Amino acid sequence: MGEVILDIKKLTNFFGQVCTATNLDLRIESGVLTSIIGPNGAGKSTLINLITGNLPVQSGTIFFKNQDITHLPIHKRVRLGVCRSFQIVNIFPELTVLENIMIPILTMAGRTWRLFAKTAQEKAGRTQAEAVLERVGLIQRKDTVANALSHGDQRLLEVGVALAVNPSLLFLDEPTAGMNPVERVRLLENIRQLSKDGRTTFVLVEHDMDIVFSLSDRVIVLHRGIILGDGNPDEIRSNKQVREVYLGDSV
Amino acid sequence: MKKTWPTLFILLIIAVLIGIGLFSGRFMIYLTIRVMLLGIFALGYNLLLGRTGLLSFGHGAFYAAGAYGLGFFSLHLSSHPLLGIVTGIAAAALLALIIGFFCVRHTEIYFAMLTLAFGMMVFSLIWNLRDFTGGDDGLVGIMREAVSFFGLIKIPIKTDKQFYFLILIFFLLSAWVVHRLQNSPFGLALAGIRENSNRSEFAGVSVKNYRLAVFVISGAFAGLAGALETLLESNARPFMAHWSHSAEPILVSLLGGLLSFTGPLVGSVFFIAMREIIQRFTENWMLWFGVVLLIVIMGFRGGVVGVLEGLLGRSRKELKE
Repeated sequence: MGEVILDIKKLTNFFGQVCTATNLDLRIESGVLTSIIGPNGAGKSTLINLITGNLPVQSGTIFFKNQDITHLPIHKRVRLGVCRSFQIVNIFPELTVLENIMIPILTMAGRTWRLFAKTAQEKAGRTQAEAVLERVGLIQRKDTVANALSHGDQRLLEVGVALAVNPSLLFLDEPTAGMNPVERVRLLENIRQLSKDGRTTFVLVEHDMDIVFSLSDRVIVLHRGIILGDGNPDEIRSNKQVREVYLGDSV
Repeated sequence: MKKTWPTLFILLIIAVLIGIGLFSGRFMIYLTIRVMLLGIFALGYNLLLGRTGLLSFGHGAFYAAGAYGLGFFSLHLSSHPLLGIVTGIAAAALLALIIGFFCVRHTEIYFAMLTLAFGMMVFSLIWNLRDFTGGDDGLVGIMREAVSFFGLIKIPIKTDKQFYFLILIFFLLSAWVVHRLQNSPFGLALAGIRENSNRSEFAGVSVKNYRLAVFVISGAFAGLAGALETLLESNARPFMAHWSHSAEPILVSLLGGLLSFTGPLVGSVFFIAMREIIQRFTENWMLWFGVVLLIVIMGFRGGVVGVLEGLLGRSRKELKE
């Protein structure tokens, strides 16, 4: 704990005239469950896109475990241990739930270049995949085609695919959006548990303030591409500037 | 019990194919060879289209690479058919590697148009390098020598009947290889790329490398089909590289069913059979083929195999009830 896992230096990004990151300096420490909040258009999703490689970095550097990943392609960052889930459902729609999980697991195990092996005989991978499904609560639906799942279940699968990579740093972009209360509680409990296990460091983007303040060790407030507030939930709650632009009187 | 039915079905098909080779007339043998050649071409091609979701309009170029590869090797170096076939496959794979390197960086319409452009370039090269390729005459006079193993055993393939069994072996081998590929972790990764290439990258898949690999594999199968056709017709023709020929495996896969392993095979049977039947009545067989294709695309997305599976599923349900 406390060791810096991600170190961002002077990150800047423009979409035309709109600035979504200005000279951003940010460090994420391993084992610290961090949440990023901010009004719409604050640059939260852009920040995740830049860190995980979905958007090219215009200027600035990103270090992951002391390694420069600023210009690495996505799959190489994933191999190093940086992964994400998406705000919208972004799964493999025509494949079964189990296959959805098998793809990251077999890829990470370096087995997808085995051209003549049989997927049906990948026992170790299958066991791992079933463990992931057990965790997110989709084990009963494992042979269902992902398309046929309810929206909430697709959201769970979305997170499951990200977990299956077994990343050391995982960004979850509004993971509980569209879930019913039961699924939501289950997922948050999972995140809390996995975070405690210490293998994965979580960074959440959330709109639900109850979740943010109850779950996080650290909260970062973004506003128009700059960091407005950074601290533990209590500090953020009492931060005057943050209250003015974002939290309003609701807290 | 579940597993025995497909096995029996496959054995039955093989028995029928052997039976055709042993007992039917020349015309039927020739047609079946044609079906198997198109089947090899389409099976390999469908790894790219049906499995990975990439639409190439340039696979005629690899077919021609296989044909001319075998042709040059046979005319100038050695007329051993197996060595010629291996040369043809290698030439096609190499060409696919070079062309694929530029194409897999792009997707959808850009990928399709790039493959089309490269295919046209190969066609016009073959057409214009007359001294080398024979231009519009193609390479002619390629012999079907006996298949010899180190001079010890010699198996003649001179008659169509003898040649039929060589094709049959390559056909069964190709079907087995493609089936294994589809059911391997590699095949699963390809399906993932088709379904969602961005998410595949976030699953750790180096999407471009997989696209290139499957491009080369499908190109190699096209090369095999091209080499075998050259042995069949004893010539290699520039129109093998033409875009209209590149369209054949697409039409065949659509007709049979894109997403199933058997789709391209069933499609090949229908394609060749329909061409034969329609051509007896009218010269513009493409017109009537177009109508059939229209009906399949608009009404039966799963192709012939999809329709059969649907019917089979329904009758099974009724049996249960």
